[in-house]
Amino acid sequence: MSVHRLQSSPMNAVSEEPVAIDFDGVVARFGALHAMGPTTLSVRQGEFLAVVGPSGCGKSTLLNMVAGTLRPAEGVVRYKGDAVTAINHDVGYITQKNFCLPWRTVEANVRLPLEFRRIPKAEAARRVRIAIDKVGLGGFEKAYPRQLSGGMLQRVMIARTLAYEPDIYLMDEPFGSLDAQLRTRMHGELLKLWQETGATFVFVTHDLQEAITLADRVVVMSGRPGRPKRVVDIELPRPRDVIDIQSNPAFGAYVKELWAALDVH
Amino acid sequence: MSGGSIPSGSTPRRRALPADAFLQLGLAILAVAAWEIVARAFGTDFWTSSPSAVAAELGRWAASGQLAVDLQLTLTEAGVGFVIGSVAGGLIGFILGWMTRLGDLFEPFILSLYTLPKIALAPLFVLWFGIGATNKIMFAAMLVFFMVFFTTYQGTRQVDRDLVENARLLGAGKWDIWTKIAIPYSAVWIFTGIRIGLPYALIGAIVGEFVAAEAGVGFRIKEATSFFNTAAVFAGLIVLMCISLVLLGLLKLLESRALAWQSAGNRVSAGDPT
Repeated sequence: MSVHRLQSSPMNAVSEEPVAIDFDGVVARFGALHAMGPTTLSVRQGEFLAVVGPSGCGKSTLLNMVAGTLRPAEGVVRYKGDAVTAINHDVGYITQKNFCLPWRTVEANVRLPLEFRRIPKAEAARRVRIAIDKVGLGGFEKAYPRQLSGGMLQRVMIARTLAYEPDIYLMDEPFGSLDAQLRTRMHGELLKLWQETGATFVFVTHDLQEAITLADRVVVMSGRPGRPKRVVDIELPRPRDVIDIQSNPAFGAYVKELWAALDVH
Repeated sequence: MSGGSIPSGSTPRRRALPADAFLQLGLAILAVAAWEIVARAFGTDFWTSSPSAVAAELGRWAASGQLAVDLQLTLTEAGVGFVIGSVAGGLIGFILGWMTRLGDLFEPFILSLYTLPKIALAPLFVLWFGIGATNKIMFAAMLVFFMVFFTTYQGTRQVDRDLVENARLLGAGKWDIWTKIAIPYSAVWIFTGIRIGLPYALIGAIVGEFVAAEAGVGFRIKEATSFFNTAAVFAGLIVLMCISLVLLGLLKLLESRALAWQSAGNRVSAGDPT
């Protein structure tokens, strides 16, 4: 599938794929607060979908519903055709918060989900090694989290997710706390990972440039109660170079289009 | 990236120079000498005794074999009390800290016990447990229990609930959460509580012996006071100080092994890929 994606234009590549996640008239309420929805939206398998919108519009709520940590007040979220009613173990969830266990080394932190999933030791060791190499943390296996910088901790979080090979990566502003240069670098690495894994990515951000750089489609949410206001197809060629793509004339046009759609005063 | 290397355990903390050690030794000798001189020159040895008298008293105490008996008794009382108090305090603090519903339920009772000066319970313990070793053990255990319990309870309650939620997403079952998240997390707080609680084991044993006893280091101190034997009082205090120092050293050793990750070196910078 990743090869397929590399060679054809992104729109053609993804539109043929089956639906991975289906939000069907989904509403989120927190007490009396109508926070989000009704939202109807489909995410195709292998797609890189970005969700942008003002703060508090329920972007993270969408992710929580896919992960199964939050039930919709109305409507249904389907994952591969089945309603999500319990914690969804097929997802990898990455936020800007670092959930490394401080008493475990990098290696042991990456191994954690494999221990939870009772993966045999030898297989777990193999996967941990591969995941750590993929995120460029080779040589730091025995380091403890407190010895690492913010960017490295974020890599540990990504490696930990890679290790259990989820079908869906839910990312909630994962690079929000990193500086601009590092963010750009992480974008490049993330795109590479997406291509290699063939997994579905749902990426929440409020950074339009970030959304355009990464995604096949960008969903623009309205203010509270957040609803998808606009879906913009990003028809920039793949594979993308995270630096070069910014000088693509279409890139600027997308920024303008999304900015207008956001309608922030 | 270049293969980064991790600095081995020890942080390059500034170590005391040998010169400092000599200075400290000098200060100690000076203090002892001043004590002796003041006692002789101003005749204050009734109140302050003097190092030579204290040393002589220590020698007599040891030679008679009574020191060994007293030491053994007090250490047993403090030691057994310490173990009972730590285990009970760590366990109950851990359970109430993690089961928030249960913790909330007991919170008012916990708070009212927290403010109570526990030493005031000593006479009651005589009533309950008599004047033998059991009384001192239970009293020491009670004091240690509260220190370990409060520290563990409060520390554990601060756990980031998102961390637990994240572990569930990663596939953790109930048992995994307890063994791989809750217990290691609480271990730090239990150790902190034990470190704070350790001196209280000795305090418990000594106070217990003050109130009612027939032997033990605390009993010797009280007995010596009633005979105005200041040298023996100081001898008892010096024995107590030595015990505390040894216990603290042992605990530090144990903690540095159990919580090695806390003392791991600082940030890795060589070959940092970010």
